[in-house]
Amino acid sequence: MTPIIELRNVTKHFGSGRDRVTAVDSISLDIEPGEIVCLVGESGCGKSTTGRMVVGLLPPSEGQILYQGQDIASMEKADYQQYRRAVQIIHQDPYASLNPTQTVRQMIVTPLLRHQTLGASRNGGGRRGRRRNVERRAAELLEIVDLTPVSDFLDKYPHQLSGGQRQRVSVARALTVEPRFIVADEAVSMVDVSIRVSLLNMLYRLKDEFDVTFLFITHDLALAKYFAWEGRITVMYLGRIVEEGPTPRLITDSRHPYTQALLGAVPEADPELAKKKVHIELRSAEIPSLLNLPTGCTFHPRCPYFVPGECDLVVPPLDLIPDGGSVACPVRMSEPGQIV
Amino acid sequence: MSQSTDLSWHQDAEENGSRPPLSLQDVHVSYRTRKGSVQAVRGVTLDLQAGESLALIGESGSGKTTLGLGIVRLLVETAQVSPGKIIYRRDGRELDVLSLAEGPLREFRWRDCAMVFQSALNAFNPVLKVWDQVWDTAKAHRWNNREEVRERFLDLLRFVQLDPDRVIDAYAHELSGGMRQRALLAISLLLDPQILILDEPTTALDILTQRTIIDLLRRLKEDLHFTMLFISHDLAIAAELADRVATMYAGQVVELGPVEDIFYRPRHPYSLGLIRAVPTVTGGFEELSSIPGSPPDLINLPTGCKFHPRCPFASERCSREEPALEKVGDNHYAACWHTDAVQEDIERNGLRGKRRA
Ligand SMILES: Nc1ncnc2c1ncn2[C@@H]1O[C@H](COP(=O)(O)OP(=O)(O)OP(=O)(O)O)[C@@H](O)[C@H]1O
Ligand SMILES: Nc1ncnc2c1ncn2[C@@H]1O[C@H](COP(=O)(O)OP(=O)(O)OP(=O)(O)O)[C@@H](O)[C@H]1O
Ligand code: SF4
Ligand code: SF4
Ligand SMILES: [Mg+2]
Ligand SMILES: [Mg+2]
Repeated sequence: MTPIIELRNVTKHFGSGRDRVTAVDSISLDIEPGEIVCLVGESGCGKSTTGRMVVGLLPPSEGQILYQGQDIASMEKADYQQYRRAVQIIHQDPYASLNPTQTVRQMIVTPLLRHQTLGASRNGGGRRGRRRNVERRAAELLEIVDLTPVSDFLDKYPHQLSGGQRQRVSVARALTVEPRFIVADEAVSMVDVSIRVSLLNMLYRLKDEFDVTFLFITHDLALAKYFAWEGRITVMYLGRIVEEGPTPRLITDSRHPYTQALLGAVPEADPELAKKKVHIELRSAEIPSLLNLPTGCTFHPRCPYFVPGECDLVVPPLDLIPDGGSVACPVRMSEPGQIV
Repeated sequence: MSQSTDLSWHQDAEENGSRPPLSLQDVHVSYRTRKGSVQAVRGVTLDLQAGESLALIGESGSGKTTLGLGIVRLLVETAQVSPGKIIYRRDGRELDVLSLAEGPLREFRWRDCAMVFQSALNAFNPVLKVWDQVWDTAKAHRWNNREEVRERFLDLLRFVQLDPDRVIDAYAHELSGGMRQRALLAISLLLDPQILILDEPTTALDILTQRTIIDLLRRLKEDLHFTMLFISHDLAIAAELADRVATMYAGQVVELGPVEDIFYRPRHPYSLGLIRAVPTVTGGFEELSSIPGSPPDLINLPTGCKFHPRCPFASERCSREEPALEKVGDNHYAACWHTDAVQEDIERNGLRGKRRA
């Protein structure tokens, strides 16, 4: 199958001269239709930058991004517009991305009307008929995101909604253009734990019922595990992918020392598990600056398995492993990596 | 318990060394607002035992920070603490915290009960170097031996695993989030307090940094036997560090017990709901469920049990009568009419949902 999204050696620089940083460094990623891929890693590792490039909000400095096999940089205008509609992003802070002066109805209806116009006069029936269809569709969308009864929500402004409800509105708004692919960038990180799961389950339903493919970006490994259990997790460190693989393998048998360090370090909401876990001792707690990256494997100043004269010389390639996925660490890629 | 003056210590005749250093008795806090009175904390009664670490968990807005700030009397002016009583004990003496005057209060905040705030950045003055803030604090407590203070602080920086020479002359904004949190911890330990209150000590920090802070707090707990009150919306912090856990909902403690009881044998539907809503990382796949609805309006609280509009176990009684904390096991208390139904539900369906793999 043609991947719906494909990244080929994508690099993103910010700034210039001595201030130039490489936020994303030659990453490649194929995402098949219907898949869930999670991008995890610590703050500043390039997750959002990657997401923004995927949706076309930022151009890559080098490399290509393909949508359904076509390089977005060389698309015809109509194809490009179609791609921009098909690939949507949901941000962390729905408050910042929703217009405070618009009601929920306006936020949903306006893009629906615009979308219909763009999609050529699909149904006749004139202006009034179109308006009625749009209203009906808006109600359907609010139902899909569980904002029910719909009439309770249509005339509300963002400040009258809870964080979780606002996030549902932004999902409904993204759905107005019938996306094929959604980048969810920390989409549930700001809502309370008690409602997070219902948001995640709602997103998951979009995958099943509307064939939406997800790039789910999060710094929270527990959320990644839950959401992408049937998908894949990709771990980034300082702009590079260090390990990638089917979620159960990556969680239970990770190979890259950085992945292992993360998994061992995450606090667990279970006292027994918290006690049982193996913690990887790092050689240094400090995260190197993007302005002054270590040579070779950028994890080498912190890695307990560092091999001098090897790890600090060559950038390790992301190599396939037989157990599923790939690992950028020739030293440890074949060693079992259970941490409980 | 007798009246203590706001000036000095009250000598407690019955002191036997096992009395809790901090006792909250029916503490209420409300905020005056244009829309009405926000009842942020409603009748919390709690003892903090010597050497224990107690975690206060609950969703955003449940009143955790308000309670913490209330204990060290750092609430905004629009907040009112009443009714209620906060008793602090040290060396056989008793202090009525709510009636302390400004001077003794300042002493209390540093020497007895130090609080590390939710936002480590805001707690620092941006135009002062770390050392200047430390020195100001020391002087304010009439500790004027510069060399001595510096020595002590350098030791503390080493204890929190910071490079002392680099940090002591830095401005807060020059430090990373994790370094700032550690520097703040070091400052809070300067005057050797008996109790530490930590509000969201690891929130907003990266995973590996979180781990260094958790390990550090564990050393404070296990090696130095600090008495600690953790405040966090993150259940994992409680699971990692607490001896006992108090679950807060709408300003009340609705369940209180040893950490294993709260995590494996919760008796309050809200505690159970939280546990079922939070995934582990390395625990295999869990089926999760969320708590329906959203937290109540603290100006117009529901009748009866404040959780009843969201509670899957609610009965008609729940909407009429408010339950109080009752004993449900050794050192384990829950405020719920239907703790038996919660127990049965766990026995029938398991604590967390069925595991897919
Ligand atoms: N517009 C920009 N100009 C300059 N630098 C930028 C810009 N956007 C991002 N960066 C830098 O690129 C790096 C990667 O940032 P990015 O936002 O992608 O990280 P992230 O993994 O999403 O982090 P977080 O978990 O904090 O959201 C960071 O060092 C960031 O400071
Ligand atoms: N200064 C204030 N004026 C009015 N209401 C306030 C004020 N500070 C807090 N509140 C309200 O009091 C309630 C409790 O707030 P508090 O900050 O104690 O909750 P919390 O449990 O610490 O939440 P979080 O997890 O978000 O930190 C909330 O409803 C909040 O909106
Ligand atoms: S390549 Fe070397 S330094 Fe890098 S993760 Fe592997 S062992 Fe560690
Ligand atoms: S008292 Fe009733 S409503 Fe309240 S938690 Fe218990 S069962 Fe639920
Ligand atoms: Mg980001
Ligand atoms: Mg708080």
